[in-house]
Amino acid sequence: MKYDVIVIGSGFGGLICARQLALSGLSVLVLERESQPGGCLQCYRRGNQTFDTGFHYVGGLAEGQKLHEVFDSLGLMHLPWHRLSADGFDQVTIAGEKFVYAEGFDRFADTLAGYFPEERDALRAYVQLLSDLPPLEQSGGISAYGYLCSKFRSPLLIDVLAATSMKMELRRESLPLFTFAHVNSSFIQSSWRLRGGGERIVRSLVEDIVGAGGEVVCMAEVGELMEHEGRIVAARCNNGEVYEADIFISDVHPALTLNWIHESTRIKPLLRRRVAALENTGGMFTASLVLKPDTLPYFNHNKYIFRKANVWDEPMPTLCEEGVDRVMVGCQVPQEGTFTQQVDLITPLPWEMCRIWQETSVGHRDEDYRQMKHNLAQACIRLAETELPGLGKMVEHIYTSTPLTWRDYTCSPNGSAFGIRKDCRQLLLTMFSPRTPVSNLLLTGQSLMVHGLEGVAMTALQTTREVLAMNL
Amino acid sequence: MSRNEIIEQVNGLLSEEFEIEQSEFTPDSSLKETLQLDSINLVDLIALVQMTYQITIPVEELHKIQTFNDLYNYIEEHLPA
Repeated sequence: MKYDVIVIGSGFGGLICARQLALSGLSVLVLERESQPGGCLQCYRRGNQTFDTGFHYVGGLAEGQKLHEVFDSLGLMHLPWHRLSADGFDQVTIAGEKFVYAEGFDRFADTLAGYFPEERDALRAYVQLLSDLPPLEQSGGISAYGYLCSKFRSPLLIDVLAATSMKMELRRESLPLFTFAHVNSSFIQSSWRLRGGGERIVRSLVEDIVGAGGEVVCMAEVGELMEHEGRIVAARCNNGEVYEADIFISDVHPALTLNWIHESTRIKPLLRRRVAALENTGGMFTASLVLKPDTLPYFNHNKYIFRKANVWDEPMPTLCEEGVDRVMVGCQVPQEGTFTQQVDLITPLPWEMCRIWQETSVGHRDEDYRQMKHNLAQACIRLAETELPGLGKMVEHIYTSTPLTWRDYTCSPNGSAFGIRKDCRQLLLTMFSPRTPVSNLLLTGQSLMVHGLEGVAMTALQTTREVLAMNL
Repeated sequence: MSRNEIIEQVNGLLSEEFEIEQSEFTPDSSLKETLQLDSINLVDLIALVQMTYQITIPVEELHKIQTFNDLYNYIEEHLPA
């Protein structure tokens, strides 16, 4: 059977493309190398608990806000979204001083102006920018750090405004204002957790794909895309199966995608070289803590804790003498009652610390690796305890993941959390359109434009439009 | 690096990477037409200049580079000392 469209990779972007194209009447096949779909939204189970891997919270889902309409059109608004506290959806602690992010642009600015009264006007200008986001052409070449320094006098406030962007990668010289403003704008409008975890998103999208006649095949790792007369004609999987289609969409890292096309008249060596030379963002260490019953009351916000006022420092010195110097703390919405059963602690972890195990795979790593994970988890707990006293004593089990885990489960080079690093100095080289030199091969996913659920959703809808414009 | 060396090297690179005969290249001919540039391989061209000469071409300066001569000039002006 020849399909209209084959989607390779079942991350959020791939599933959105597959759903939209299946619903528009095309025959769609999704190929996933793992045993379950989801990519960065995959969950795993231990005992009766479900653990998220890449998904923590999402912004802008309230009615009238940007992502509401998008998620509604994707059939995702019926999921049990849980709104974080309007008084403070994120709490930032820097060197012992605490600040809150309040929901809504005006309240956000007013609340922070309470701590920094002399910066009230600048804060107003900042939220104005976030509410009226400048287009890529205007903001793409500007660095987020440069912008903040030009607006604010207080270095501490610049740190506070960037602290929750630990979920990107805070590089002074490269992080584009465009990326920074989009992500912050979305979360400040309203922030939401999902009861039951990111796999609910995956399940909903897969049900819609299958309901529309599409197929999702797992354990189908693509090894080659076969080109004939300038078009991709088939995907050959490592299990020997060959699948044919008119159009191929890759939700996998662009560098890996190009590697699948062994011989091409369209993909020039220059393109391969420049994509292979691009740098990826760093990876993350996550410690998921299962807590003893009824020990920690649920808190309806995220905590971002920095030991020192060094928010914008390179991720390399993450592991300071005391352990880790920053941690994001989130918790799971309880199914019932007022206590949370699960806390996630997340901190950037440079690949350099994982490199010695790079030839190994999940389940086959040594005692040193287990020791490193143990030490990191304990270091994260110690830092989290500055805001959650006694946390360590509440812990029943700890499950950890590192960039190595991430690499093995999501195919992200070096376990990169957000894919290709966007660089405001070279936006043209670090951002990608869904189009490739092969007319029936398109790209989608977090490496193209903006990462995160919103960025990936918007990119996937663009990829979908490109396919529909081909008039199959 | 002298201007002639730049021209010789650039033409060699462009010919090899874009698979077009050097005889097609004249100083005043359009890069876009000669190299059959679209939005994707235009970025390849920028990457090539960057990888070879460590020169970053900002988006807002792209319009200044229309012909082969423009490209030689840009590289000559921006070559790191």
